[in-house]
Amino acid sequence: MKTVSNDSVYDVIIIGGGATGAGTARDCALRGLKVLLIERHDIATGATGRNHGLLHSGARYAVTDRESAEECIKENMILKKIARHCVEKTDGFFLTLPEDDLGYQKTFIEACRAAGIEAEAVDPKEALIAEPSANPTITGAVRVPDGSVDPFRLTSANIIDAKLHGAHILVYSEVTDFIFDNDRVVGVKVRDHVSGEETNRYGNIIVNAAGIWGAGIVRKAGISINMFPAKGSLLIFGHRVNNVVLNRCRKPANADILVPGDTICVIGTTSDRVPYDTIDDMRVTPEEVDLLLSEGMKLAPSLEHTRIIRAYAGVRPLVAMDDDPSGRNISRGIVLLDHETRDGVKGLISITGGKLMTYRLMAEMATDLVCAKLGVSAKCVTATEPLPGSRNDSPEEISDRMSSVYANPMRSSAGRHGDMAKSISHDTEYDLSLVCECEDVSLGEVEYAIENLDVHNLVDLRRRTRVGMGTCQGELCACRAAGLLAKAHGCASKAVADLRNFMNERWKGMYPVSWGETLRENEYTLWVYAGVCGMNRKSEDKPEAKSECKSKGKSVKKEGNHEI
Amino acid sequence: MRFDTVIIGGGLSGLVCGIKLQKVGKKCCIVSAGQSALHFSSGAFDILDRLPDGTSVRHPLEGMRHLPSTHPYSRIGQDRMKEYVSATTGFFADCGVPLCGNPLVNSYRLSPTGDFCPAWLSLSDFFLIDEPAVDPGARILIVNIFGYLDFNPAFIAAGLEKSGATCRIIAVKLDEMERLRSNPSEMRATNIAKVLDKDYVRSELVSAVSKELKGESAIIFPAVFGLESDSVISEIRNSFDTKVHFATTMPPSVPGIRTQRKLRKHFESIGGTYLLGDTVDRAELSDDNTVLSVGTVNFGDLKLTADDYVLATGSFFSKGLCASPEKITEPVFGLDVDYVADRKNWYDTDLFATQNYISFGVSVTDDFQAVKDGRPIRNLHAIGSVLGGYNALQEGSGAGTAIMTAFRVADIIIEKEEKR
Repeated sequence: MKTVSNDSVYDVIIIGGGATGAGTARDCALRGLKVLLIERHDIATGATGRNHGLLHSGARYAVTDRESAEECIKENMILKKIARHCVEKTDGFFLTLPEDDLGYQKTFIEACRAAGIEAEAVDPKEALIAEPSANPTITGAVRVPDGSVDPFRLTSANIIDAKLHGAHILVYSEVTDFIFDNDRVVGVKVRDHVSGEETNRYGNIIVNAAGIWGAGIVRKAGISINMFPAKGSLLIFGHRVNNVVLNRCRKPANADILVPGDTICVIGTTSDRVPYDTIDDMRVTPEEVDLLLSEGMKLAPSLEHTRIIRAYAGVRPLVAMDDDPSGRNISRGIVLLDHETRDGVKGLISITGGKLMTYRLMAEMATDLVCAKLGVSAKCVTATEPLPGSRNDSPEEISDRMSSVYANPMRSSAGRHGDMAKSISHDTEYDLSLVCECEDVSLGEVEYAIENLDVHNLVDLRRRTRVGMGTCQGELCACRAAGLLAKAHGCASKAVADLRNFMNERWKGMYPVSWGETLRENEYTLWVYAGVCGMNRKSEDKPEAKSECKSKGKSVKKEGNHEI
Repeated sequence: MRFDTVIIGGGLSGLVCGIKLQKVGKKCCIVSAGQSALHFSSGAFDILDRLPDGTSVRHPLEGMRHLPSTHPYSRIGQDRMKEYVSATTGFFADCGVPLCGNPLVNSYRLSPTGDFCPAWLSLSDFFLIDEPAVDPGARILIVNIFGYLDFNPAFIAAGLEKSGATCRIIAVKLDEMERLRSNPSEMRATNIAKVLDKDYVRSELVSAVSKELKGESAIIFPAVFGLESDSVISEIRNSFDTKVHFATTMPPSVPGIRTQRKLRKHFESIGGTYLLGDTVDRAELSDDNTVLSVGTVNFGDLKLTADDYVLATGSFFSKGLCASPEKITEPVFGLDVDYVADRKNWYDTDLFATQNYISFGVSVTDDFQAVKDGRPIRNLHAIGSVLGGYNALQEGSGAGTAIMTAFRVADIIIEKEEKR
């Protein structure tokens, strides 16, 4: 085991690279702390990347959970300022269908207003003019300030800013154990999944921000948190059917939110308790797909004829109250646990529960506690300090300034990277040639992401650029991008293996909806990748190359842990 | 409009069937919606390289003995298969499509990701080898067109280096090619091939590559030459003292499209009618299950009538089959389709495992008569990938089934005539 020398004792080590962990890393770094964040996979791969992408106004919780509603609307207004390039102000409608009780609308509007959420009843006819995709039989509509948010961009911007303020970020690195000094946690053992290497990392305070995986993390320190994984499944449609978020005006239930985002829309979610040991392998069932479709069609009937691109599922980290081991009394609110006072384990805190919308507030609460423990008095500035990408101009202004005849790829990259898109080279026609034709991703943007945004594989690249996220789900662009990765990382056989994994990762979201256009698309994909490329011939059929790469070009492997 | 035979679908199977019928004087009409599987071809035809249980097949005619009785090859029968397998190279040569390879033994081809895959017969652009390896002493120059992203020389090099060969990669920048870039999505195989079809662009390329040669024993180019004619292929080969090969690109496939065009031209040159860009959208059947006529989108009320009809509409991608969440249907005639009921059983969660849905297709008799409501349709035969009972990707039998069933159904239609 390699230990890291004393000079790298961190003030704080954060476990988990979702929105909460990234936000906490940023907040701690902005307050002058020496920060290390450790993430098992890539950033935003847990629940952060597997939800609606809804910028809640809080209206959904107004009647049933006033506290959450108030938190949501506050954070909603903050994110609209600090994360402009991640957010789209679409507004939302809460629709009353003939089968719903119109009387609920009054209760709903009153509860919204009491929580500080603007809510205004709109004549159904006018609502249908504003949002023609909505069910024409609606008997009522209420407009609220919902929006959409890109969770990956949001997490990435937090990571980028944390790094700008000195934070160290380790991805593909897993915390395997805690290091104790008597009753104090003083560090963690880390396994680098790329190099296989194990190291010790030392910190004064360890923050567990691992979402649903957090229960497993603290168990390694002998601590129990009573968590209840709740699986939520969603469907992505290939068109942006609606421009305004559509909700049902009734008590929250299954499949009652349709959120537009970029060129697509998302219906969700289901909600089912699942065993803790299944949280690493969430798969959407045909029954869930059928439910999402039938309920979604009630909000927007045209979904019946809209192509479904993928199905996916995430796991909410629901936490039971400490005095309730049965789990009946579940909170959806923020849970901040000081394991020193709760469990007698010093140096360890957990921040969990909550939702994507409140990630910044959760980060602020966790950082406040860290600072209190370290005796640091710096105040939180994350509610007012814009994130990288939203500091200068709006994405529209940026793409206008970069404008030329090749407007589309530039506009797309400005949309994805905000004011950081200025660093993308679009100088030559080579830079402008398209890698992904569905999502208008240029070669310049792919090379920018590989160089600057910590891309280790095609899935990482997809999260950063949307390569392979369009209707074709990577048919041509995946192979093009694999070629560019092979060039950048100097290893072709690894890139081919990565390409195979990437196509399988795309399939995971497609097979639950494999009929109609999705099945056609998949058959084509199979003809190309299994047929033409021969990827369905098992390794024993032919001599297999272990990904032993001669040191051509620059290597992806770095010394020690896999730091980005 | 009256024909002897109307063939619905103008891909490999439909064209082969049409040519074979037209050759013996049958008046044929092919209705083609447009692109076919040849447009994303590997450049090689496969016939059978793996049995359903996973056993590798070296000698396709031997392997066929182990296939289930409902497999199209089993329906054709061993003797006829032997005859058809031997006849294939000659048939394509007559159409102006030279093929290489030993029809009795599978060889290997080089895939775009640098793997050696089993293959039966190949278009003459490509090379086939007996074993999945190249000469370890080989020194190979791999040439790409600068900025062309659908060909990855590094993947090819990694594949060849596994057998010990030494590879060097260059990318050639050609002035004429740079003009394609005025549109960011123009660097596709077919557009590049159009530019390379110009003599002066090719000579620029040849002289650029000649200067780069440093005693290599072979040159590999992406297969983006000769959209119109394969004379360009031999011309490039003759321009170098070194051996020249072409390697498969990601789609679209220039050699595949050239082959599609050649087959179509040949079909038309011997008197066939090829209706491109039209779709058969309805059919009229008599009470005794006989097709009376079919109608197309473009011809509206004007019907196509024939003694015999051949369904060569392909599988899901070509819309020969349609899948809804509950069932799988054949859209033109509403034929019976063989598939498993619950959609959970249509797929495997591993993309590259055997996908059951690939083996779904229309029900047929041993004579490939299509079946509707449990009754065979006397004058409607199905060929190619609209058929069920075989898994083209798992077995490596897509092109083989297209060609063999086309031969067989053409013979059945010819024999019927002789009986009459």
